[in-house]
Amino acid sequence: MIWIEPPRPRPVSRFFETRRLLSLILVAALVWSVASVDWTGGIVHSGGGNALKDFFLALFPPDLSPGFLKLALAASWQTVVHAVAGITLALIIGLPLGVLASGSLGNPGRSRLAVAATVRFVLAFMRSIHELVWAVLFVTAFGLSSLVVVLAIAIPYAGILGRIYSELLNDVPQEPLDGLRSSGASPAKVLLYGRLPMALPEMLSYGFYRFECGIRAAAIMSFVGIRGLGYEIQLSLNDLLFSQVWTLLLFLVALVLLVDYWSTRVRRSLGS
Amino acid sequence: MTGPRSTLREVALGRRRLTFARASLYGFVVLAVLSWAYILVGVDSGLGDLFSHRAWGNAGHFVRQLLGLEAGLVDGGRPAFLEASRWAETGKLAYKTLLMSVLAMSIAGVGVLLTFLPAARNVSNGELGGRSSFGLGALYYAIRLVFAFTRAVPELVWAMVIVFLLSPGVLPGAIALGLHNYGIVGKLSAEVVENMDPGPARALRSAGAGNLQMLAYGIIPQALPQFLTYLLYRWEVVIRTTVVVGFVSAGGLGREFRLSLSYFQYTDVALIIVWYLALVIAVDLLSAGLRRLIRSG
Repeated sequence: MIWIEPPRPRPVSRFFETRRLLSLILVAALVWSVASVDWTGGIVHSGGGNALKDFFLALFPPDLSPGFLKLALAASWQTVVHAVAGITLALIIGLPLGVLASGSLGNPGRSRLAVAATVRFVLAFMRSIHELVWAVLFVTAFGLSSLVVVLAIAIPYAGILGRIYSELLNDVPQEPLDGLRSSGASPAKVLLYGRLPMALPEMLSYGFYRFECGIRAAAIMSFVGIRGLGYEIQLSLNDLLFSQVWTLLLFLVALVLLVDYWSTRVRRSLGS
Repeated sequence: MTGPRSTLREVALGRRRLTFARASLYGFVVLAVLSWAYILVGVDSGLGDLFSHRAWGNAGHFVRQLLGLEAGLVDGGRPAFLEASRWAETGKLAYKTLLMSVLAMSIAGVGVLLTFLPAARNVSNGELGGRSSFGLGALYYAIRLVFAFTRAVPELVWAMVIVFLLSPGVLPGAIALGLHNYGIVGKLSAEVVENMDPGPARALRSAGAGNLQMLAYGIIPQALPQFLTYLLYRWEVVIRTTVVVGFVSAGGLGREFRLSLSYFQYTDVALIIVWYLALVIAVDLLSAGLRRLIRSG
């Protein structure tokens, strides 16, 4: 017979103390944030109520004229183009950096650790700055173009992909790697024949998840003046053409949900 | 006899299971080639510009102006990051930005807490021991639809719409961020309930617990830590996005960033980026600490 030790009761006092501290912090944050807003002044614009009513009434129906649908379709295509190009560039930059950050390449030693730490710092810096802030800085430096926008998406996304990929490469089961090592494989071969194949499904599914985020990122790049769904939304908003805004919003939502559905199917087929 | 054949079938099935992912990968490669072709052949690719001598000269000029090594068009004086008063002024804006992010998470968190239960399939169809009804089923689809819509629209687009309705300040930005994250955290939290171990809830039900008791003892204790963890993860993303939302909703560092850029006060821009990075690092550390607290609690 196997004797299973009954689960020891947790020290109750500490358990409740942690919980109480946590709830205290969270409730304090909630109260602080709500109390700091100036609720006395006019929250709603003068005329904001009417604008709100007009905005919701414009949904019935949205602008479905063939000409405008064509424009929305073209804008969607431009958004997809920037998202796809941004993600591919992010993969090209992020994958090698992720491998370096995982510290699985090269011989064990201090230099390898130093490289990994440096790359991790660079990755953290890349993802600290939002893609649109990168875009504003790049446009100021280089002028507006598609490539600048693609680069602005690629840098923070490479920072995220690099970090996640380095973690995935490190989290693979160790026994097969030991097997490879004991048969004399170099670190590069362990990476190529052990770590990468084992981590690939997870890496693929995370990449597809990021693609969905990339669509949204590409849509808001309109803010620096590149064409796409966000750009058209801004134009229609400025002209108070709310039914056009709704059409464009619905296109954007459909696009994101389509990519979301695609990436969910990919993840499910990879079993993760 | 059946041994080898069944292994073969398993291999074939395994292949078939892989084909969707593989086809998707090929599909993405085709999409990538098309996109790059479109960008590089397109009129405004900027490939030539990006590698021209003049562009890099401009970029170098810009970086030197950020660092205060070269006088800009307007500010001939000392760089902003050497003035204590500018540090204090931008510090106040950083505080406002932090406030906006916390308010956004409060809005999203309270919203999710109020709505995530009916959005879980096993709650709405009574699998956890409740009763299913047409109303609950309809509510499930309605909330899921709201989750999908709020999630799919980016924060900045929400902000563009909301500044039309609300007077500028911290609140519209927080609402825009809150709406988008409400959809994300809501979907994730509903999925937590769906993937939950149904044992405790069913046991409670069969012991005669009411709806409220089941919620308090069967569902919340299991789902709450996950929900809070998601909320904290999203906070790390939100603090990076507050600046962007500030571009349009006139609150915090974002507005100042844009104003300074358009007035060519580049040392101010550098100062704001320093504050921004400080906020990002602080929130990352805080969130990691709180998440550790959740795990140990």
